[in-house]
Amino acid sequence: MARISAGVATSHVPLLGVAVDQCKTGDAYFGPIFAGYDWTKRWEAEQKPDVIVLVYNDHASAFDANIIPTFAIGTGEHFKPADEGWGPRAVPDVSGHPDLAWHIAQSLILDDFDMTIINQMDVDHGLTVPLSMMFGTPAAWPVKVIPLAVNVVTYPVPSGNRCWMLGEAIRRAVESFPEDLNVQIWGTGGMSHQLQGQRAGLINAEWDNRFMDSLVGDSDAARRIPHIEYLRETGSEGIEMVMWLIMRGALGQRTRLLHRHYHVPCSNTAIGHLVLEPD
Amino acid sequence: MSDKADIQDYLAAFDDIPGTRIYTAKRARQGYHLNQFAMSLMKAENRDAWKADEKAYLERWPMSEAQKQAVIARDYNRLLDLGGNIYFLAKVFSTDGLSFVQAVSTMTGMTVEDYQAMMNAGGRSPKGVRSIKDAY
Repeated sequence: MARISAGVATSHVPLLGVAVDQCKTGDAYFGPIFAGYDWTKRWEAEQKPDVIVLVYNDHASAFDANIIPTFAIGTGEHFKPADEGWGPRAVPDVSGHPDLAWHIAQSLILDDFDMTIINQMDVDHGLTVPLSMMFGTPAAWPVKVIPLAVNVVTYPVPSGNRCWMLGEAIRRAVESFPEDLNVQIWGTGGMSHQLQGQRAGLINAEWDNRFMDSLVGDSDAARRIPHIEYLRETGSEGIEMVMWLIMRGALGQRTRLLHRHYHVPCSNTAIGHLVLEPD
Repeated sequence: MSDKADIQDYLAAFDDIPGTRIYTAKRARQGYHLNQFAMSLMKAENRDAWKADEKAYLERWPMSEAQKQAVIARDYNRLLDLGGNIYFLAKVFSTDGLSFVQAVSTMTGMTVEDYQAMMNAGGRSPKGVRSIKDAY
């Protein structure tokens, strides 16, 4: 049977992709950010996951203002890196896992989650930056990826509780897939940042760290944080952290911390990174 | 959020955050064509046409005059007020060759150098900018 063996959370700032693509990951600015991912790179090389369910948000790349799916799952064979206005990133195409993706999509719908199913879409920095952070610059990504895109742009975005419940349902779906697969779930985005208006540049390291604390162990307090708290405390784009709750919800009642990293700043953003396993 | 929120109360709270425009349905409706214009710049041939003649390119989109003027002026705060969303507007400043830090700093009234220095020193503190009403 397939199983979810671990959860990874990480910010997905586009500038991190630029640093990788321009070989600047060791310089004075980026060095301390990337050093926090060295442990994870080694760990991923040992773990050799078969599939990653990669929870991210599309930043007006695959989805324009015309179609706004709250939860969308990518069931295609391949996904190309998106051209976000400066040409596509020179990273490998992402290989999907249509068998597991369709199985998850069908299971989620029967489990009361009315998913949008996407066969063809380009994937932007929200998905490719986390892959670069965890796997570096391989000729081909060493893992299949099922993109799971969440609307965190047009309000109302899904509640933290709904995200947590979706994670629980993803775990049930994965565990009912007959093939023996090592599946990880990644929750990306965040941490505190605001990219707009006079309040841009807001960072709240204290809140971010409390949020990371709350995802370790058996607390489920984070699922009840209202949107307004993310917005006031962590900036308008801090709302992306609801996507970490899908990852957390998929890990079951208790988690164990394997690795943790926090750094300010990267561009306009606080970088946060967790590696958790079900306990 | 496990308790069902009243949509009016939910939306009203957003207006209490200083210096922030939450991208609500109201803004998404107002900014639909503006954001779709920005989105079109994801294609290289559209970027070429835009760079060749910005005003002519804008005529292809049924946007308000105020929206068109704010695009030409690259007045991002004004564009937020007129229904623009930052991830869509990012296609405009990316086409200009600006980074997120460079473009975002223009909305704060700070120079890009001062803004970057603030970020390097830990960012803007949330103290005093969480709520207009309660000033905390």
